[in-house]
Amino acid sequence: MDRLRDRKELHGGQAQPASSSTPGKPVQSIPAGPILAAKRRRHLHPFFYRIGPGTLSVCSVLLIGLMAILYLSQLGQAVNDNQQIQNLHQQQATLQRENQDLINTIAQEESPAYIITHAKAMGLAPADPKTIQILVIKHLRTIPRDDQNLQP
Amino acid sequence: MSAEMRRARNRQMLIFLLVCVGMLILLGRLFYWQILESHSGYNLAELANEEHTQNQILNAPRGLIFDSQGRILATNVVRDDVYVEPIQFSIDHPDNTQSDLEALINSLHQVLPNVSMQKLQQAFSSDLPTVRIAVRIDPQQSQQLRALQLPDVFLQPRTWRIYPAGELAAQILGYVTQNDGDNVGVYGIEGQYNSLLAGKPGSFTAETDLQGNPLVVGADNEQPPVSGANITLTIDSAVEYMVQNALANAVQKLQAESGSVVVIDARTGAVVAMAGVGTFDPNNYGKYANQVGCLNSEQVYFNPVLYCAYEPGSTMKAVTMAAALDQGLITPDTTLDDQGCLSFSDGTPTVCNWEYLAYGTETMTQVLEHSANVGAAYVAHNILGPSRYYPYLARFGFGQATGIDGPEATGYYRKPGDPNWTESDLTRQAFGQSILATPLQMAMAYEAIANGGVMMRPYLVASINNNGHIVATQPQVERRVISEKTAQTLTGMLEDSALYGFAQPAQVPGYTIAAKTGTATTQGISADQTEASLAGFIPATNPRFVILVKLDRPQKAIYGSTAAAPLWGIIAQQLMEYYSVPPDALK
Repeated sequence: MDRLRDRKELHGGQAQPASSSTPGKPVQSIPAGPILAAKRRRHLHPFFYRIGPGTLSVCSVLLIGLMAILYLSQLGQAVNDNQQIQNLHQQQATLQRENQDLINTIAQEESPAYIITHAKAMGLAPADPKTIQILVIKHLRTIPRDDQNLQP
Repeated sequence: MSAEMRRARNRQMLIFLLVCVGMLILLGRLFYWQILESHSGYNLAELANEEHTQNQILNAPRGLIFDSQGRILATNVVRDDVYVEPIQFSIDHPDNTQSDLEALINSLHQVLPNVSMQKLQQAFSSDLPTVRIAVRIDPQQSQQLRALQLPDVFLQPRTWRIYPAGELAAQILGYVTQNDGDNVGVYGIEGQYNSLLAGKPGSFTAETDLQGNPLVVGADNEQPPVSGANITLTIDSAVEYMVQNALANAVQKLQAESGSVVVIDARTGAVVAMAGVGTFDPNNYGKYANQVGCLNSEQVYFNPVLYCAYEPGSTMKAVTMAAALDQGLITPDTTLDDQGCLSFSDGTPTVCNWEYLAYGTETMTQVLEHSANVGAAYVAHNILGPSRYYPYLARFGFGQATGIDGPEATGYYRKPGDPNWTESDLTRQAFGQSILATPLQMAMAYEAIANGGVMMRPYLVASINNNGHIVATQPQVERRVISEKTAQTLTGMLEDSALYGFAQPAQVPGYTIAAKTGTATTQGISADQTEASLAGFIPATNPRFVILVKLDRPQKAIYGSTAAAPLWGIIAQQLMEYYSVPPDALK
């Protein structure tokens, strides 16, 4: 289509075969200006600069190589980050596991059975209910309970 | 066209045709796998996806269970299972299999001494890809195995439910079983609130690398798990321990088959302690599968306070008196002539006192003090009658669920209109025979008396914290059972009964108590095989706690007064000390 369009421009808008000279008829002379302009247009399209096939190949290879390097670098970064995330996940799981173990240990050591066993081991004994004496203090004013104030 | 050109064209055509045939074959094959076999058993797409994508179920952490003081009763820990890969080991060690195997087995046995060498050798000689050789190993053993980096041995972490206090409140809590990695609560709070405690598992889908690690560069989809709700109980583990310990000592000392105790907050209906003997350790529940409780009627996992219905015996006399007092038919000073046995003109079988003791003229208060069957039967049969007695049994909640969190037995009694009901049922029910009640039902009947005639709904769960959304249980009035005046009058009668009657061994120095003993026998077995109980509340002037103690078939002492009352006194005294309740009976 481009060629056809160029030819239309060359022959004043009428599409005719390039070698339509017939014997006995004089060959029409073609002006040089429009042909050069068309050639220039062809050279400019699609590049702004004249570029040969060798240069084009080298540039393409370089461009593809650059893109590959960029991609690989991004991929490497992503893999590193991925590894780091995996490590953090593992660390989180380990910490959660340790936390659960500590909660369990605290719960065990808070249990009445544990406290009583250790109290007995320290020489403490349960109070004998018969020895409990109740003292009646008349007109006693109760002290408001405020455990925080009693703490050292 | 030259001949050479024609040959070239023919060759081109031949190559083109061959390519076309090849393409057609490929297309045909593609059509076969993609269309014809797409729904066959091969599941090629799934298999291909499985190669590079990871679908993982993220288990939700099960909610914790706390006591009323914030102590943990149930939690979770992660423990490792140990697996070996026998086939992979043979592939990895083609030359020195035997010597390498011996070295590996020795290393494993050193870390896991509970796993025998023979078991390890058997595991490695099997033709399975993986064999589990140890379950739930200690954290120290896990660390040692990780440090050793043994070939063809790997650890698989698994979450376990742990009960740090062991047997404490086991029948309240229940336990958790593992079915194909799913934790399912069974019995008790674990069973009742399983769906809340379990939470909602999440999922994780991502592309993976060759080692199976998920890649952040690929498309991933993560739905985080929703943690289970934390549940706080009304139980105080210090009181629970004290009650459970005292009960276990009493059962052992009196050579009883079993026993149960329930302590209820008299004002709110909150269960402060609830214990049964025998019980089980929920950390090793499997060991107790063959053990039975409730006088051989239920497995040991059932809570006897909720499930073991029994004939309450003389503790029921307080209910009979409440019905008559509330309707203004008697006063504490109403008298009857007690000759030791009571015959009825309508043919109802005669009722007799324990050892046919005759008390002569006695007041209603003395009926409770003497625990006279004749007095109770007289009130039910001659004063109340069925129409005025049975509505009160229903009001006190007998034969119905109490409404506590979770399943429970309802008990049973025959009433007019039921097949085989006779007047004899009425007279016997008046003193606690021919009626089945659970310990909780009996305790709640006394709770209504202690709480000015208003029965509260018993509850075990104080609050539920579902990921920040907290729902606290508010004490709930079940119904008014008797008037406040009747409750006060009856409290005074029960106080006298405890002071001068059979409940004397339950007395706590410095405090008034309102209590009634009960000794029930079962028809068809020896009369000395009793169920000794005592129900009451303390302090009587301003009730804080309702306590019911029951011992099944004690051998060393068989009566409520001799077997149950001392235990009731021990528990009551410790409660008063623990909660610093001011004494109300100081002179």
